[in-house]
Amino acid sequence: MANKKSLHIESSGQLCIYCGACVGICPLNCIYLDETRITFDEKVCTRCEICVKACPVGAIEID
Amino acid sequence: MEDLKTDVIVVGAGPAGSVTAKFAAQHGARVLLLEKRQEIGSPVRCGEGISKAWIGEVGIKPGRWINVEVEGARIYAPNEKCLEINERSAGNEVGYVIERDGFDKQLAIDAANAGVEVMLKTSATGVIRENGRIVGITAKRFGEPFEIRAPITVGADGFESQIGRWAGLPTNLALRDMDTCLQYRMTGVDADERYCDFYLGTCAPGGYVWVFPKGDHVANVGIGVQVSQVKSPADAQTYLDRWIAKHPGYAKGKKIDIVGGGVSISAPIKQSVTDGFMLVGDAARMIDPITGGGIANGCIAGKLCGEVAAAAVRDGDASKEFLQAYEKGWRARLEEKLYRNWLAKEKLVSLPDATFDKVIDALQGVKLEKLNVHNILKAVHEKYPEITREFEAFL
Repeated sequence: MANKKSLHIESSGQLCIYCGACVGICPLNCIYLDETRITFDEKVCTRCEICVKACPVGAIEID
Repeated sequence: MEDLKTDVIVVGAGPAGSVTAKFAAQHGARVLLLEKRQEIGSPVRCGEGISKAWIGEVGIKPGRWINVEVEGARIYAPNEKCLEINERSAGNEVGYVIERDGFDKQLAIDAANAGVEVMLKTSATGVIRENGRIVGITAKRFGEPFEIRAPITVGADGFESQIGRWAGLPTNLALRDMDTCLQYRMTGVDADERYCDFYLGTCAPGGYVWVFPKGDHVANVGIGVQVSQVKSPADAQTYLDRWIAKHPGYAKGKKIDIVGGGVSISAPIKQSVTDGFMLVGDAARMIDPITGGGIANGCIAGKLCGEVAAAAVRDGDASKEFLQAYEKGWRARLEEKLYRNWLAKEKLVSLPDATFDKVIDALQGVKLEKLNVHNILKAVHEKYPEITREFEAFL
């Protein structure tokens, strides 16, 4: 959707510490942790921004 | 990869999973214990402080994973006055600071020695459902997809559990029921090896700062912040860095490790079993909502879970009715405490710093029968019944 805000998970390891806090809180179960990679399902994500708050190091952004 | 069949699948080789697997095997079941990582216990995501009263109950023997044996706890009010509770005043053994990776490995060794097959680098990717029952999982091992079928599947996949939700169990958390956590292991700090320290108040909104000593001036210095009180991204880090900067005994230290994670601080979930499936440990939101500790409850429930899994296999009945023995068993053992501590947490997160100062002051010199949350809350109740009104029925 053109008007949907975009979610950016910095999962290159520069900020992300792969702790899984975002995975556990996501109300739609659409974030996946693969030990060295965090991904999310863009089609399911509603940009609720809960994961942004749950991330202890600020590695998730929504613009 | 060939498809497999077994009696019990346990997803996740943390403490709750390994204890579940061990007890299921000891009671005669064939058990596969799956771990997505290449190394059990690593990377560590834990403050590493545990109480010791329960370990014998689940067949864990003290071992090389014990880092420091502490004599007590010090609870600091926002004004930095502290309540010191030690073995002598509390009359019981207190706890350990552990090497969590070594601890998890020992529990996996105990499971393997009991006959459990351990599969590393193996993740669950879904549950297999037939006629409304869960009859196994789809998985990936070294990237290769395959299936495992079993009458019983146990989800022990931790805070970030997905298998519980795939199985249809309600484990979603409200923002007020989760803390976002960050911890540094620091060296060159003035941590007292005799105590685990807890700092309350606005230094950590809806949580606390902890200092758990690892010996030789090394300590885990961490923070939990309630997600509903997070104002801007990375608040956990901001608050922790601020706390360290204000404490010269820690500000002079060097960070050698950084660990993050989520901790549930919720009321007990409504349902932990369904046909062919049980959930245990952090995945089942069994973490103590006051302390944020999950290991003891996960292991205690894991023992029951393993015993019930083996009985279900023996009796050829994996129905949710049969698995009620686990659901009822862990609730009888843990639910009242979890519920009381959740109610207490709901109250404590709303208290202003001045109230913490007043309460810690009033508790100086109190004699606790044993050092635990229940006894501390009872002591608060004696002095300030208005704080404990919402949960006094549980005291």
